Order: sequence, then structure tokens, then C-alpha cells
Amino acid sequence: GGSNAPHACLPNRQERQRRFPLLTVSSFPCVVATSLQQDVSIHGSECAVFYRQEPPAEPLGFSTVAINYVYELTTKKRQEVPSPVPISELIGQLPVVQGRSRPIKVLNRLTVVMSEASPFVSFPLENRPNDAEYRAFDLLAIQPTTEKLFHTSCMLCEVDIICISVTEKLPFFFKRAPINGAIDRGVVFEVSYASALRDSTMRRYTIANAVCLMESCKGKNVIVSSAAEKALDLRGPYDIINLGALFGLSDADSKEAVSSTCRAVLLHAETRKTASGIVSTRKSQQEGLQDCVGS
Amino acid sequence: MVRVKSRYLLCEINVSDRRDLLKLDDRAVSGTVKAAVARTHGDYGAALCSIRFCVKYLNAHTGIVFLRFPKGCYKLLWSALPFITSIECCGRIIPCFFNCLHVGGTIRTCQKFLIRYNTRQLHRMLPKCKNEEEKRQIQKAILSCSLTGGGDEALEDELESEEEDGE
Repeated sequence: GGSNAPHACLPNRQERQRRFPLLTVSSFPCVVATSLQQDVSIHGSECAVFYRQEPPAEPLGFSTVAINYVYELTTKKRQEVPSPVPISELIGQLPVVQGRSRPIKVLNRLTVVMSEASPFVSFPLENRPNDAEYRAFDLLAIQPTTEKLFHTSCMLCEVDIICISVTEKLPFFFKRAPINGAIDRGVVFEVSYASALRDSTMRRYTIANAVCLMESCKGKNVIVSSAAEKALDLRGPYDIINLGALFGLSDADSKEAVSSTCRAVLLHAETRKTASGIVSTRKSQQEGLQDCVGS
Repeated sequence: MVRVKSRYLLCEINVSDRRDLLKLDDRAVSGTVKAAVARTHGDYGAALCSIRFCVKYLNAHTGIVFLRFPKGCYKLLWSALPFITSIECCGRIIPCFFNCLHVGGTIRTCQKFLIRYNTRQLHRMLPKCKNEEEKRQIQKAILSCSLTGGGDEALEDELESEEEDGE
């Protein structure tokens, strides 16, 4: 239950596949007030899933969650970008982060699946990243499916996250050049683990693709997140850190993938909306925009 | 000094329906973990699991388990735990997931952590109380948490009843 079809503008195919907002994929900094036996307090982050009335992120120890909306670009026709449902409508009262007194932060995130090169594909993200439709989302992610698109998204597109597909064998190999370019720009690569929990074949694809990625990027700028669709697809931060070892990350890199890299993504997303990270604008209550200097 | 060292993993089993928790028993959990390790790591994992693995403690009211693994390979066996999606117990399949809270070298350290964790959970439930009676019960349970006293059981019953009321 819990599906309320908030995306009236999505085409039917998408609506059939994903009727409710997907779980957030990126990890966010969260404060987990527990500690491992080495007495290290972990600032792990991960996106949790919010499934209508039942937020299980609270006992798991995550502090930020992003709700993911998938938007597929095809050559057929220009489709509308889904508009995010306001958070207050989805979840009544936000639970409090474990060990702190702040409530969990919930953000909106858009994942653009780029399938073929088309006039519509390069248009949104290269030329107008601050388009009004994209502004409603706090995080932008892109999922390229061909080598050329991967190269473009690493070097040119104004996104925060590049998703590595885990449901199919990678159709292209990773090259060092675009990956290093993305790392320099602050874009992170993301591996999601919810599909691995369901099926043995998916597990093989996930691990294979993740290991390929780690070989090329040496474990930097990687986040691990759940693309959970149900509350039971979530896992705790320590379990995810251990899963990173399966993907080929070292212990330190794995911990970073869940904590500090996620925090970096959040900051990157915030500065993307500003002009060089210094000036940001906010819509005032009256008509028009009002410039205000802020960070 | 030669001493056989193990790692004790403190896990919490999260289910969507709390009433299903009461049906768990340690043989079902042990079988599930062994099956998941065999699925993920094959024969090598299944062999490692047969060395010193066992379920040391299971609390059906709160869903806390202590699992013991040998120290040399606990990380490998731990990495198979996230892939558990359900537990089969007396003919029923209960969808759930394991959430690891703490890794300790001895049962005593895990127990100390568990008491601190339960105290924190009770503190978090305090603002959600609906009437004075529940508030007093929680405060009494918080004060009686200790390693040697019988506070642990009182805590867990409190935890279970409060969570049922709070949610």
C-alpha cells in the first residue's frame, strides 16, 4: 500500500513500473550514536526509504533521506519532468535522528535515465541545469547507458551523482579519463544495493559492475545507497560498510562511501544552485525573486 | 597465552509486523544465517560457518540476537547478513532484515552496549508517551538499567509495550 500516484505527469509505462517514490539512493551524513568495537563513532550516511506512514530510517540511524524520482529520456517525444511531492504531504511527522535532537532531513532527488543521444538528451543538463523543473529537486542524478553518454555526463553535465546501473551487465568499460574528470569536478558515482537483495543474478551484476567501477576509480568519490522500494529493503550503516568490502572497497573507503562522500554530495548539490557557491536566490513571499547573499 | 577468540555480533531483527517476532526461535535464525552464507559465499562460506557459529541469545520480544563467529573470518560471514530477506519458522515465512548494532569480543561487552542502547531507546520513547502512567513506567525502567540487576528484562518488556503503543 502507500501508492498514491503523485506523478500525474509521468507516462504510463513509468507509472506501471514505479508507482511510488523510490527510495533515496544517495547516502547522507547521519550520526549514528553507536560505536564499533574499536570505539570509533561513525558518521555514516545513507538514504533511507520512506514508505508513507512508516519511516524505518529512524531506528537504523540515518540522518538524511532522499526520495528519488526517476525520469526517462527517450527520443520519442519530450516528456514532462515529474514534479516532486512536497515532503509534508508524504510524511506526517519526521522522526528524530538517533542521538541528536534534530529531525531527519528529507530531500528530493531526480534521476535522469539517458538512453540514447537525442536532441532532448544533452539539452536539459548541459545547457540549463538551473531550469525551473530541475530546481525543485535538491539532488540531481544521471544514469548513462552508453559510453558516449557516460563520457558526457562525467565531463559536462551539471549533476551531483552518476548512477552505475546494477540490473544489467555493463555495456561499456570504464576509462580512467572521464572518471578522473568527474572526480575533479566533485561528481560521485553511486552503486545501489536493493536489487542485489532480491535476486541471485542481480547480485552478480551488482558486484561485477561495482568491482569494475572500483578498479577504475580507486575507491574515491563513491557512494553506496539503497534504491529501496519497501521498508524491508533498507540496511543499517554498519552492514553497508561491510558490503563495501564485497564491492572491492577498502575499510576506510567503505566507511567514507557511507559518510563523508555523502555529505560532500549534499554540499555539492547546494552549491550547484548558487552562483559559484556564494550567492543564492530564494523566492520571496511577494511576487518575483529576491536576491540574497547566503551560502 | 593461547585463547580461542570469537566475535559476537549484536543484531536486531526488524520485521514489519511485531507479532511475527514472537514466533522466532534460535534454530530458525541459525538455519537462515547458514543458508544465506552458503548462498553468498558458497561452500567456503558454509565451511567457515560450521566452525564456531551459533546463536548465543535471542530475545523474541525485542528481536535482539547475539551471533558468535570465529574472529578470523567474521567479516566475510557478516557480509552475508544483509542478504537475508526472510526467516522461515514453523512453516511461516517472516519477511525481515538484520541490522547489526555492535561487534564485541565478549558477550559481556555486547551486553553492556545493549543496556546503553536500550536506555537510549527508552529516552527516545519518552516524548511519545500518551499519559503519565506510561511516562512513570519508562522512567522507572530507565533508572533500573544495570548489568547485574534484573533491569534488562523490565527494560525489554517496557520497550515492547511502549513501541506497540507509540506506533
